[in-house]
Amino acid sequence: MRDKVLKTLAYWHAHHPWRMILVVLLLTLIFAFFAEQLKVTMRWSDLLPTGDKRTVQFNKIIDEFTSATSLVVVVQGEESHIKKFAEDLAPRILNAVDTSKNASLQKKIDKIRKKIDQLKTKEKNESKIAKLQSEIKTLQSQMNKKLFKRVDYKTEVDFLRNHGLMLLKEEDLKNTKDVFMDPNITGLLFNINNSMEKEYVGQEESISTREKEDNAVAFLDSIQNLVLKLQKATRGQNLSKEEVQAVADKLLFGEPYFLSYDKKALILTAVPNFTMMDLDLMVTGTDAVQGIIDDLLKNYPGVKAGLTGMIAVGRDEMVYSEKSLGYTTVIAVIAILILLMISFRMWVAPIFATFNLLVGLIWAVGTAAIVVGMLNIMTQMMAVILLGLGIDFSIHIISGFTERRAAGDNIAEAMEKTFLKSGKGILTAALTTACAFLTMVISHSRGMKEMGLVTGLGLLAILFATMLFLPSMLVLRERRIDKKREKKQDLKHAVQRDISFRFLGKTSELLSKHYIFTILASIIISFILIWSGSKISFDHNYMNLEPKGLTSVALQDTVQEKFDLSMDYALVLADSIEESRELSKKYRELGTVAITEDISLYLPSPEQQQKRIPLIREIREKIRSTPIKKSVLPSDFPVLRRELERLEMNIMEMQDMAYLGGQDKVENKCKEIVGDPENPNSRNIIREELQFLDENISTAAKGLSEFQQNFAPYFQASVIKMSSTQPIRLDDLPVTILDRYSNKKRDQFLVTVFPVGNIWQNAEFLNRFADDLERVSDRATGMPVVFRALIKIIGRDGRNAVLLTLVIVFLLLLVDYRNAGHALIAMIPLALGIFWMVGLMHLVGMKLSIMNVMGLPMIVGIGVDYGVHIIHRWRHEGRGKIRIVYSSTGKAILLTSLTTMLAFGSLVFSIWRGFGQLGGALFLGVGACFLTSVIILPGIIGIIERKNRETC
Amino acid sequence: MKKIMILGLLAFLLTPGSFSQEMTGEDIIQKVNDLFNFDSNYSKSKMTIVTTSGQKRTFIYESWSKNKGEKNLVRYLEPRRVKGQAVLMLNNADDIWMYFPRTQRVRKLATHAKKQKMQGSDFSYEDMGSGDAFIKNFTSKRLKDEKMEGYDCYKLELTRKPDSDTSYSRLIMWVIKENFVPVVIDYYDEHDPTLLQKRLIQSDIRIIDGIPTAMKMVMINKNDNSQTEMELLEVKYNIPLDDRMFTERELKK
Repeated sequence: MRDKVLKTLAYWHAHHPWRMILVVLLLTLIFAFFAEQLKVTMRWSDLLPTGDKRTVQFNKIIDEFTSATSLVVVVQGEESHIKKFAEDLAPRILNAVDTSKNASLQKKIDKIRKKIDQLKTKEKNESKIAKLQSEIKTLQSQMNKKLFKRVDYKTEVDFLRNHGLMLLKEEDLKNTKDVFMDPNITGLLFNINNSMEKEYVGQEESISTREKEDNAVAFLDSIQNLVLKLQKATRGQNLSKEEVQAVADKLLFGEPYFLSYDKKALILTAVPNFTMMDLDLMVTGTDAVQGIIDDLLKNYPGVKAGLTGMIAVGRDEMVYSEKSLGYTTVIAVIAILILLMISFRMWVAPIFATFNLLVGLIWAVGTAAIVVGMLNIMTQMMAVILLGLGIDFSIHIISGFTERRAAGDNIAEAMEKTFLKSGKGILTAALTTACAFLTMVISHSRGMKEMGLVTGLGLLAILFATMLFLPSMLVLRERRIDKKREKKQDLKHAVQRDISFRFLGKTSELLSKHYIFTILASIIISFILIWSGSKISFDHNYMNLEPKGLTSVALQDTVQEKFDLSMDYALVLADSIEESRELSKKYRELGTVAITEDISLYLPSPEQQQKRIPLIREIREKIRSTPIKKSVLPSDFPVLRRELERLEMNIMEMQDMAYLGGQDKVENKCKEIVGDPENPNSRNIIREELQFLDENISTAAKGLSEFQQNFAPYFQASVIKMSSTQPIRLDDLPVTILDRYSNKKRDQFLVTVFPVGNIWQNAEFLNRFADDLERVSDRATGMPVVFRALIKIIGRDGRNAVLLTLVIVFLLLLVDYRNAGHALIAMIPLALGIFWMVGLMHLVGMKLSIMNVMGLPMIVGIGVDYGVHIIHRWRHEGRGKIRIVYSSTGKAILLTSLTTMLAFGSLVFSIWRGFGQLGGALFLGVGACFLTSVIILPGIIGIIERKNRETC
Repeated sequence: MKKIMILGLLAFLLTPGSFSQEMTGEDIIQKVNDLFNFDSNYSKSKMTIVTTSGQKRTFIYESWSKNKGEKNLVRYLEPRRVKGQAVLMLNNADDIWMYFPRTQRVRKLATHAKKQKMQGSDFSYEDMGSGDAFIKNFTSKRLKDEKMEGYDCYKLELTRKPDSDTSYSRLIMWVIKENFVPVVIDYYDEHDPTLLQKRLIQSDIRIIDGIPTAMKMVMINKNDNSQTEMELLEVKYNIPLDDRMFTERELKK
């Protein structure tokens, strides 16, 4: 049956090459149409099993919470410059529009307008015209659509102004209530001191957790600001009313900008009108903001700004992976073409092979579009993988055909013999490889399952393309050569060159003769490499898979360093505010969690609010009843002096405790106020102020009085305003807060959980954090949970796929050879090749990762081919022909393995390190399988032939 | 023949193995507790912590304890930056005071600081508290003996007593059979007895004044993957200490 099909195909190629080419071109057009529809996703969660709760939750969040997947602008420079830059940038981002669809929309509008004009010439078409005009309006509304709905770079000060005290925890209110009770400078300092002593004396834990440490830094920052402004005031420098009021605001509401601890970095968050599902807008939006930033930076010489966050990283991952794969594909194609030209010593056939391969790739991509519709991070590499494998079919056909022609066969005979001799091997090898890949369909992870599907079916698509296309091109070329010769009356046969690799034949014959040495050497090498492979470790760091040198990725580290905030946070959806509050509380109690963010930050429970009301009332009554002093008199100076000294001591003690406790942020902030005890030249701004007060009483009193006149009434009014006891309800929250923490329907609430450290530092911490997240809620998602799940699932999938693939491959070979012994022999190079591959990976310093672990089942499908071809040819040629087997088929498998290695190796140049990891592993795997096929197999064949001779 | 049999029986009864078979978890933890049953002690230690920005910081300090650890005084010697800073812990670290030489003021810390990290380390004040905490706060159950850190050990499971306010729900302890030093202690979460929080590993065990003493301790915090190393540079047991040493007034001296 198989022979009949192959003979028919050979006949058609030899006699109707143009018809075959026409059929192929038609099919190519159809596949190209489907290939055009193929989409790409770069979300890691899309590699998890379909319906996996983490993926479902993640997709739900990015679909419903645009603020969860925002574009983050990181601005770096001097504090005043970056604040101004942010003020300039925010409105520009808000005005950014999507113009990418304008041209096509305008075309549609023009068409409709023409229709309207035509209708206007006829009567009774008013209703139709009205309908078309409304269509135009709809289309026009889609033009210049705003890309971003909000830019957040400041805290919600207005909301805090009205409800600030209600948001303070009961304990914090008790400890800090004094601060709000006296608006006069001396009274305020007295109360601040009381509060400071009470706070850290009363609760040592106040600066023992990350959240409390942040609060301490913010508080110290506002004190530093107060002292610096008092310095200016006492020195008679003009302070505007707004500047003085800003001092009060900072004391009451903290720093309004999202500034880093060192105040040299600022974050703006642009909330898009699109989600990460809109891939085109993700690219357009990011590029638009990047353009605005680049323009604006020209006016700010000392400022640096860049984009990060899920949208920017997503955009970069997509664009750069496409670029990466684009140029690695080009590298691979060129390298393969050169190799084929050198080895075949001709240039036309290799060009045909490459052209055939490209056609096959179109078929493969079209098939992928039909089967999966969307490529993911893993399946994106299908083109390069198929490139390396698909060229093998062409090599075998060209090899076989040119050999037959060299042997003196005419075109038809040569084609038939090629199909019968090489075709069988190609079919078996392609089917085993495709089946091996398709075995990955049993995987749970979508990543591996789809990889199996697209590469398995893609390989078959290239096989069909090669069987239908390449031979016809070769026939046409041969006909042309024959015609030329006929014209020249050159009666010598067309091709006379022996292009087999005789050195391979000689070497294998030698290895076969000395089979004891060959087998012993192979065993020793295998032992060494198995031992090396057993030492290989698994790389849990997802950052090692990410593209290298990308600003968006590098800025994640900047955010981690400057803001001590990991961008790899976890997300949990809650069905109610109460659940959100409860989840947030539970997460905050965990040692692996730094901070949590959710709506309860702005919406305490009714019970909590009730408990706070008496304390707030107490503050309100006290501040209302406290008279405002109109001036600061020299007679007030002893009290002022005492309070400043007390403040200095409190901060020094806080500094010493922070030093012992290793809390660098608090200690550094204290240093800025009271100086560095280890550096006598460091500045102590409180001491400076004390000295100035002593020496310039009258100037200081005048300046302080002016300060007091602007400060105290504003402070008093602000405290009265923020001491509203009106309960806060969900509807009272500003839209910016609501959008950040709840969906549009306001029935789902988002809890963001930040880890206490870098989750990629080691596997133990990643597992710990992910375990903690999932223990509290099985709906936890986000990179830590998704990646941990991927490691588990893909690791398990990889193991299962390898085992099942080995079984399937064996069964296929058994059916093909109808000889279990030969099937096993064909698999020996593969089995050892896998061990050699892992051993070599360890030797060159590679680790296993979720990307290259997929290479193991793939190499089963790829590596088996070499043994298959050799055993096929050996069976075909008969005993004692090992030299011929390896000279001819050996050449073909050397070429196929080199081309495959070139294709996989090209991935090493990818910006995406994950691609490089898989490419590197497969490069070594193919090399290892080739070596085991040319070293071990001749030894085994030698033993069998010796045995047979003895039997005879 | 009979004599030999009796001698054999005696030998069997007197071997540590047969003796250990009879020891219950409570017996073993009592032995552990007895190790700490010295009235007073003095030590000079070196502790290395990791600061929040990831830098290592080493302190050298002297400490005195009395009444089986009920009273404790720690005085920092190095680095120069903290020299003279002192911490006084009374009532098994329920009351804590701190002295700051820079301002010459003494401050009292809250009682619940006992469960907090001690000076940026992975030890809590509670971990450094009195020796009878294992008996007072936990019930002990003996598990199957195991080898740990190269020592033949008793393995104990200590479960928190209902009325105890300790911050650990349970402990797993490996106690060296030879000297009853707990070579490894696993501390489990206050609320989740399956969640390992910290592991203490003790090493370099020397006999000081007749008491087996671990000169090196490492506390590994499983939550944030940090660890604190502590090394005893000098130890003395049962030395005369005046009660006045452990007062707020004396803290300043």
